Amino acid sequence: MCLALPARVTEILPDESAKVELGGVSKVVSLALVSDVAVGDYVIVHVGYALSRIDPEEAAKTLALFAEIEQMTPEPAA
Amino acid sequence: MLPFEAGLTVTLGLRDSKVTDVAIVSTRLVQASRLLAGRDPVQVTTLLPTLYALCGTAQALAGAAAVEDALGLLPSPLQRMARRFLLLLEILTEHSFSILRDWPALLDESPDLSPARLLRPLVHNARRSLYPDGDWARPGGGRLEVDAVALGMILPPLKALLAHIFAGSVDQIVDSPSLFDTWCEHGDGLPARLLRRVRQSGLGGFGAAASHFMPAEGPADVGERLAADDGGRYLARPDYHGRVLETGSLSRQHAHPLVAGLLAQYGSGLLPRFAARMAEIAAALQEAEDLVQDLSAEAVPPPSPGGSGIGLGRVDAARGLLIHGVTLKEGRVSTYKILAPTEWNFHPAGPLAAGLTGARDDDGLIWRARLLAAALDPCVACRFEVAQYA
Repeated sequence: MCLALPARVTEILPDESAKVELGGVSKVVSLALVSDVAVGDYVIVHVGYALSRIDPEEAAKTLALFAEIEQMTPEPAA
Repeated sequence: MLPFEAGLTVTLGLRDSKVTDVAIVSTRLVQASRLLAGRDPVQVTTLLPTLYALCGTAQALAGAAAVEDALGLLPSPLQRMARRFLLLLEILTEHSFSILRDWPALLDESPDLSPARLLRPLVHNARRSLYPDGDWARPGGGRLEVDAVALGMILPPLKALLAHIFAGSVDQIVDSPSLFDTWCEHGDGLPARLLRRVRQSGLGGFGAAASHFMPAEGPADVGERLAADDGGRYLARPDYHGRVLETGSLSRQHAHPLVAGLLAQYGSGLLPRFAARMAEIAAALQEAEDLVQDLSAEAVPPPSPGGSGIGLGRVDAARGLLIHGVTLKEGRVSTYKILAPTEWNFHPAGPLAAGLTGARDDDGLIWRARLLAAALDPCVACRFEVAQYA
């Protein structure tokens, strides 16, 4: 299963890519699947691609939900 | 901190120039659904498609089915038809997306993802064209109000995209072994070139192993196993009486005439697996085209009552059988568990591991392993490593 973690776009890069940030971690993702993304937008990232853009309020709600997971007991090793 | 992106790491253990063991480590959070506990079940079905990056329709509909099972609700035939249409649309878009994104790399080509941009908006538009209030996964059913114009604009672009991907009509290609052979040998387009390479490399049977296909209803003991799984070990590494089942296109399409013939010739190797994906796409497109003619509006059903109960929801998602298990107490979710197809197919004793065990170690080993992973289509990134034993 693939959690839909919203990442914030911090820099638009050449070749349809962008730098995104989530929880202090940065990575470069492809923007080939989304249109009109700007710095400050939130995107759902999957396997190196921004799949979709979501509005900041929705991103905040989702991030708050996922923050709850971090408070839970650890997952079993798999 | 949660991992930025979860994934699978597959380590191929080599001894005497062969793969002797396959270790699969996952960083996926199979118990993320625990955060749904304590919530209202209607809220849960609204949240589900936002929690998962892929297969949001299947996740939400499995949630709705689980809640309905727990409460004894039976959605109307029209609601079931509309949901089925949305699910088929997602199956088609997920397969299209993974082909466009993952298959070019198997031919050392760069992906052209511009055609894939229409896929996610199509899923969104289809939901809105049937359920203007966005309640398409509400337990018991939502307000079904068909916007015929908007609905009529869903399948034609998807059909055109599939024709572009396969450079032909996929239902005709899988219609007979001879047409499939001709297409593999001479067809244009990415899938034909990939399957031609597989055939020319003598890899049609690569990855074949004893297959234990998932029953349509799922494992008979899944309810008890989910209920007893407090630590999440069953969710992470499921089994049925010690056996790891395979779920997905090959499991569902193994009786399709083309696929059955290829299975008899190659076993559960690459060629029947890719053909099964194509057969599934053809079947889903045909069914969606049939269904779209019959979808119609329905008055809003009465609100779902609160209550208590235990329920299971089963949905055949793009990558295989998705099972949700819910316990409701006085109208609130008490426990919520999700068993996803990747946990079966990429189980350390599942079809990927079985198919790679015994593989010859040469320069093409990782490529062949990536082919098999692509045929099984995990929902997360899959990385391969080798470990050389003395």
